Amino acid sequence: MKGGALPIAVALLAVGAACATPPKPRELEALDNLRTTNQAKLPEVAKRAPDLMAEADRRGNAAHEEWQSNDLDESRNNALMAQIKLKTAIALYDQDQLKNQIQTLSGQQAQAEEEYASLAKDLASEQEKVALLQKYVDARKAAEADKQQMSTEQQKAKADHDKLSQQLSAEQKIAAARMALRMADTVEAVQYARDQYSAAGDLLARSEAALKQNDFAGAEAAAVAAKKSADDAAVAAKPSYEKAEESSQNKARNEALVRDAPTIPGVKVRIDPRGDLQRLVIVVPEMFSKRDPNIAPGHDYVLDAVANLLKKYPSYPVQLVGYTDNRGKSTELIAISAARAQAVYSALAERGVETKRLMVSGLGGEDPFVDNKSASGRAKNNRVEIVFLYH
Amino acid sequence: MTRARRMWGVLVIGFGVGAALGGAARAGEEDDLQRQIDTQKSTVVDLERLDDLKAVTDEIGRLRSWLDEAWGLRAKHEYDEVRTVLDRALKQEDLIRAEIVVSKLRAQELKREASMKEIKEKVAHTRKALQETSEKKKALEKAAQ
Repeated sequence: MKGGALPIAVALLAVGAACATPPKPRELEALDNLRTTNQAKLPEVAKRAPDLMAEADRRGNAAHEEWQSNDLDESRNNALMAQIKLKTAIALYDQDQLKNQIQTLSGQQAQAEEEYASLAKDLASEQEKVALLQKYVDARKAAEADKQQMSTEQQKAKADHDKLSQQLSAEQKIAAARMALRMADTVEAVQYARDQYSAAGDLLARSEAALKQNDFAGAEAAAVAAKKSADDAAVAAKPSYEKAEESSQNKARNEALVRDAPTIPGVKVRIDPRGDLQRLVIVVPEMFSKRDPNIAPGHDYVLDAVANLLKKYPSYPVQLVGYTDNRGKSTELIAISAARAQAVYSALAERGVETKRLMVSGLGGEDPFVDNKSASGRAKNNRVEIVFLYH
Repeated sequence: MTRARRMWGVLVIGFGVGAALGGAARAGEEDDLQRQIDTQKSTVVDLERLDDLKAVTDEIGRLRSWLDEAWGLRAKHEYDEVRTVLDRALKQEDLIRAEIVVSKLRAQELKREASMKEIKEKVAHTRKALQETSEKKKALEKAAQ
């Protein structure tokens, strides 16, 4: 039994070994892996390349069968062919997919580029607007800055101008005050309005000091006050000054009159004051004969000289007073004396003397020039006296 | 010459002619297979040049090894096996061409995607710039009033 069993077992093992499936060929394993890896898309691949897929399936099935039947060379060859067919089918499918994807991407890219172009256009437009706005804003800022700077410069110029104006005004006021003081000097206010004049001088000095310290307002105010004081001083001094001046002039004129009057030949001159009134009396004796009211011949030169004297001193009022001697009735003598004064009046008027300053009167035999006892004395009393009146 | 000897002579001549014809046929098949192998080898060079992206170098290597295998089989006069290998090699060529197209399309797709990404970034950047510019414009308009 033992001797017969061993060969049987060996034979069974040999048969089993011969019947056992051989190891799967590497090519077939790769094919199966390829299928497994692409399992998901194989239905779609089959739609794209049905002939290739069918061939791959056929070759694959054959490879498996040949492997099972231990025909490994054929199995390898069919597995390789199946791989090639399957890979080719997958490649064709991938081509389509990629083409579609590229087309889709192209469409999307075109859309995106269109969107980009639109956005870029909008952006360019907006940027242009922004640039314009920026320019406008910058220009406006610059204008405002210029305006502010100009305003500052204008303010400074105005301040300088105001300062100069104030200075000029103050200087003008000071000049006016000086002029007012000069005017006050002309009426000798320093003498006749001492306090006001002194105040004006002080104010002017204060004004000049303020001007030196650039206190133009103070200088102007002091100058105005100085001018007012000087004007007041001038006004206050003027009457006194004029009075003094007139008095001085009158005195000189009176003195001249007193000097000139005696130079007329054939006349007698005397000063005959009556109270405040001064009287320069020019006596022309023997101008008339007895009762004759007319001027005796030969007195033209005297009348000419008297007329010239009257014209030389035109401001004096003059009395023409006729006289007679004392022989006759008083009323007649007065009428004759008045007629004699009138005759002289007419003679002087003929010589161009202004008649409104002449006053005519006749006093008859009053106030004899000399004694009437003698004939020569009486002749001398028939006269006209020309009286210059003054203070 | 007897009839039998004449028949032997015919047979010998026939065999010789047959052998000569058989040898000529085998030599013609061998040359034909060699031309096919050479043609496919030159095709491999073309395919390598086409595969400028080097995407199918494995498949080309496999093709080249099969052609070498065919060359070896031809040398062993195993013509059926040579034809089988050459047939597979032809299909492999088709596969390689298809995969080269795929690689080129994939490269094109990648390029498109890169372009797309770039244009999308430009769009996003421009949109942002536009928004910022619009805000700036509003601010300037307010300042200009």
